[in-house]
Amino acid sequence: MDYLERYREIIPDFEDFLATISQPLPASVRINTLKISRDRLIERLDRTGIGNHVLKWYPLGLRLDMDRPGKLIDHTLGYIHIQEEVSMVPPLVLDPKPGEMVLDMCAAPGSKTTQIAQQMENRGLVVANEPSLGRLTPLRSNCERLGAINVAITRYDGSRFPDCQFDRVLADVPCSSEGTSRKDLKVLNRSSLKRSLDLQRLQVSLLKRAVALTRPGGVIIYSTCTYAPEENESVVESVLDLGQVHMERLSLPGLIDCPGLGEWCGHKYSDELKLCSRYYPHANDTGGFFVAKLIKN
Amino acid sequence: MSPSSSRTEKFEAIDSAEVIAAWQSRFDMPGEAFIGFAFYRRAQNIWAFSDVDLPRLSYEAVGMRMMSLKEKPWKPTTCALQVFGRHARKNTVALNSEQARRFMSGESQDLEADVEAGFVIALFQDQVLGCGLYSRGKLVSQLPKERRISVDTEGDL
Repeated sequence: MDYLERYREIIPDFEDFLATISQPLPASVRINTLKISRDRLIERLDRTGIGNHVLKWYPLGLRLDMDRPGKLIDHTLGYIHIQEEVSMVPPLVLDPKPGEMVLDMCAAPGSKTTQIAQQMENRGLVVANEPSLGRLTPLRSNCERLGAINVAITRYDGSRFPDCQFDRVLADVPCSSEGTSRKDLKVLNRSSLKRSLDLQRLQVSLLKRAVALTRPGGVIIYSTCTYAPEENESVVESVLDLGQVHMERLSLPGLIDCPGLGEWCGHKYSDELKLCSRYYPHANDTGGFFVAKLIKN
Repeated sequence: MSPSSSRTEKFEAIDSAEVIAAWQSRFDMPGEAFIGFAFYRRAQNIWAFSDVDLPRLSYEAVGMRMMSLKEKPWKPTTCALQVFGRHARKNTVALNSEQARRFMSGESQDLEADVEAGFVIALFQDQVLGCGLYSRGKLVSQLPKERRISVDTEGDL
């Protein structure tokens, strides 16, 4: 927890923040419309007496009054997918359309991949890339359980993904995962400036490649589940500096965000970075997330 | 890192008509159920995938495994039945709530059904539960282990 003190000046209502992250996360699931309609799923939950609350900002996201939604038969049959609420944001703002070509650069375990497949109504192509062999099994298993048929899986180093042109690219990159501490407090023990800077190199190379793989006018979403500006604004800034993309503000009415930072550790970021969105746990009772939307010039 | 190209180059596009004919013959499904899908073969598996032009990449998977040719007769996967199975007009077994729970937990059970021996589609009301093997009054659940549930699983079928 001590490491988080470095964010005292940038996270508003810091004491509230600390109080919230000492609480476990509420259970949340996404309704998989590839297999069931929203009304039918809610009717099933109601019939079983499971309290459920639709997210204000996403009609397919549900908060459940139960501890282990993985034990529900609705999960086994692929009607729902357990997914942290703010982790539903990147696909939502990527906003892929049926028939498009989309790349999910760091795909496992496939929560966002399958959300994208669902947004595309199983049409078009989602290339789900995952370099780690061990993480391919959960990725494939989730795609099969959820009935995602427009997903093709590749196993490249994302920063060397072969030349291709996509309509949209999601770069939900490896990060220090500080925002997931409500799930597993241990992630904070691994946090250090050195680790963030090591990850930054990888993140910059992934985001640069994501930009190169996007067609002009196409959309790139960069996201992490960490608070560290070294892995967030600093990464986006180094790619903005190349002059191939511009930023666009996210708009998800009902979900409270904070703008990207103007300054960190004496470094002033360009004004455009204020268009990034920071999601803090105490604002919406969720995990922590960072999302930036880039448009290829 | 170089992708495992030796495996992936073995995904070969195959003639849809052959796949559709096999499923029509076993499950009496209308051809329209397969519109918008393309089919690939790798080793002894047929995969169903969105009908798009695939960029020239090295793939680990394209869509979902739909049928295995390892056995004779061929075996449909549970995940593909959950996508295509609702169109079937024969070789389906409608289970009651108790039978469905037993099927979902991976058990075999005695029951009489008006189907041909072999792989069948287990249904509960209008939901496809998955693949079963039926012969001589016995239904053997073919659900993959990770898809089975214990009897105390919450939620109604």
